[in-house]
Amino acid sequence: MLFESFTDVVPSFFGWLNQGPMTLTIFLHTLIILPMFWIYHSEKKKLNK
Amino acid sequence: MANKNVSVWSSIPFWRRSAAWVTGFASILLVWLTFDSVGQITMGTDADIQKGVTKRVPAPTVINYKIGYKMSAKRGHEVPTIGEKELFFGKEWSPKEAAALLHLGKLTSQSKNCMDCHTLLGNGAYYAPDLTKAWIDPAWQNGGPLQGMTGKNTEEEAMAEFLQHPSQYSTHARMMPNLGITADEAKGLVAFLKHMSSIDTNGFPRNFSKTVETFKAGGSHAH
Amino acid sequence: MLTSIKTNQFEGNKSKELAMMYFRVALILFGAQLLFGLIAAFQFIFPGFLFEVLDFSVARTVHINALVVWMLYAMIGSVYFLMPDETGVETVNIGLGKLAFWVLTAAVTVVVLVFLLIQVGSGTESSIWLINEGREYLEAPRWADIGIVVVVLIFYWNVFATFMKAKVKTGIMTVMVANLMALAGLYLAGMFFTDNISMDQYWWWWVIHLWVEATWEVFVGALAAYALIKLIGAKREIVEMWLWIEVLMLFGSGILGLGHHYFWIGTPEYWWEIGALFSALEPVPLVAMFVHVLYDWGKEQGAAHAKGEVGSVMKNGPAMAWIVLNAFGNFLGAGIWGFFHTLPQVNIYTHGTQFTAAHGHLAFFGAYATILVGMMYIGIQYAYGIKVMKATFKSKMGVFLIAFGVMGMTIALTIAGYEQVLIERAELGGGWNAFFTAQEMPWYIQAQLWRAIMGVVTFVGFIYLVWDMLTIGKAQASQLENAAVVA
Repeated sequence: MLFESFTDVVPSFFGWLNQGPMTLTIFLHTLIILPMFWIYHSEKKKLNK
Repeated sequence: MANKNVSVWSSIPFWRRSAAWVTGFASILLVWLTFDSVGQITMGTDADIQKGVTKRVPAPTVINYKIGYKMSAKRGHEVPTIGEKELFFGKEWSPKEAAALLHLGKLTSQSKNCMDCHTLLGNGAYYAPDLTKAWIDPAWQNGGPLQGMTGKNTEEEAMAEFLQHPSQYSTHARMMPNLGITADEAKGLVAFLKHMSSIDTNGFPRNFSKTVETFKAGGSHAH
Repeated sequence: MLTSIKTNQFEGNKSKELAMMYFRVALILFGAQLLFGLIAAFQFIFPGFLFEVLDFSVARTVHINALVVWMLYAMIGSVYFLMPDETGVETVNIGLGKLAFWVLTAAVTVVVLVFLLIQVGSGTESSIWLINEGREYLEAPRWADIGIVVVVLIFYWNVFATFMKAKVKTGIMTVMVANLMALAGLYLAGMFFTDNISMDQYWWWWVIHLWVEATWEVFVGALAAYALIKLIGAKREIVEMWLWIEVLMLFGSGILGLGHHYFWIGTPEYWWEIGALFSALEPVPLVAMFVHVLYDWGKEQGAAHAKGEVGSVMKNGPAMAWIVLNAFGNFLGAGIWGFFHTLPQVNIYTHGTQFTAAHGHLAFFGAYATILVGMMYIGIQYAYGIKVMKATFKSKMGVFLIAFGVMGMTIALTIAGYEQVLIERAELGGGWNAFFTAQEMPWYIQAQLWRAIMGVVTFVGFIYLVWDMLTIGKAQASQLENAAVVA
């Protein structure tokens, strides 16, 4: 079963994101990594100048 | 385009900015998560228990109730249960009295340095048994060897007796030293232990109820 | 080392002199840590040993507190040592720094005496304030907490003000200043009392985890960067680029990796996966640091050979040995042994067993003890004005016996933990009788015996280390003089 039923005792935003295997942690990792692409490109622009 | 040899991967500013971003954002996430978690582990109230509202950490008055540890099919592990009322040291404790008793117990647990031999919620030293669910350990309950050893008729009195004179009741060559625990402090400590056993620890220690079952079925080779 | 201040070649550098004062107390506390660790190890085998005189809880309190405090001493010492090199200016207020040193040392002495002689108090607030706070690693009573905060503020002000005066702000120093602020601030999270044990543990981990798995690790990264420049002449640009990558990875995994302590203390289930994946990434920067140290070493050595130079590029043999050991030990102890039991599926059985003790021993040693000992050797080299310091037989015995002993203790404790996991937890499901049944199993007892033997090996290694530190500087400085006379 890919999506498990909600098992946290108290519903909360993070509990809601925790809907199945690794959904919450992958979401948080993505949030952290994504802006680094923007940092990469802005540094690239600077270096090319 | 102008310079193909420029590599961002070996540029200090790139890594410095990335480090600042990752550190800052991870910290913000942690603070956010902390607000959520602290809300969830704040102690409930007496009214919550009466209304049957589940709290991860119940009110101190939980000492007035039977505590169990049952397998939850939905959550896939054992969960503490709050059952019917029972007397604790021969009386029912008001919210105020229960809170004061728990306060005394928690203070005593720290001033006697329990955690440098035992583990509480699995944290501490590994020289003596984990106390997370000590209250629901069948060895301390009616008919259990530890309760029998003290000659007391209730679990709380047996634990309190042991805590006051630990080196009189040896359960192993490795004994608990006498820490000068008074009768009141012992009561407080038992309340602290009972309260701790009602905390929802996401199924830790796993299979604790197995001890109960093996014991009720005539005991394991652990005795 | 003890005489190094008197016969000093400090060329008037007061900051480095202050660093040596911190190093000396650190070494004494290191000895105390090992001694009380041995007492606790013997108590596992002979439970009657010092029973109701100096119980296990007392021995262990001193064991772990001496550990934390000697490391803080050596860390403060290291910062005072590298600051003049990194900032190019003299540390702003040495007098105040010295005052803080004496206040801290007096406070530590009183706390240790109270732990040993008074041991426990009654169940009142005053016990928490005056005798023992009863929270693992943070046992120091509240008055001492406040004292530590004041001393650390003085130290931090000294670092910050010196950094602001520097004309060039190096990457190492920038990381150091930012990181030290977090390190010092986090201590405040451990300074309150609550009746709620879950809340208590929640904030306790803020101090413990965010120290040893985040800010202390970044501290080590900065220290290793400094040491590589100092010892093998590594290029600053390369070292500092690596340092920023390490900061990114250490904080990126370490801050939310805190979640692996929130699996079972009453906190919500969502911590399972946050703790699992973030902390599973914690070994990555440790591998990176190891690769980095070896890469730089090989590169500088190769460059020297290419220029036709013979011999090693190392300017300080014993320090380099300890720093390479740090790179490997950090990865092995903190990384591998941590990863062993960081996933909740495994941790539900291993949590609160000797597994944790095994990881703790190798991680504290590999990640922190090693590099701080390395810094002490750098200090000795400087104090005696030795250009190239070579490892002696005693330095080799010290590093070998200590590393071998700690590794042996770790393996023994891992076996004990494994046995405990299977018998006490998996088979019997925890509980009082389950615990003692597991403690009685022959393999557990044998493991505890080996741990004690390896503890003695470690202690013998420590004696060699101290002996070496007391003699190496003088011996090699006089060799240099003799050589100069002959020439």
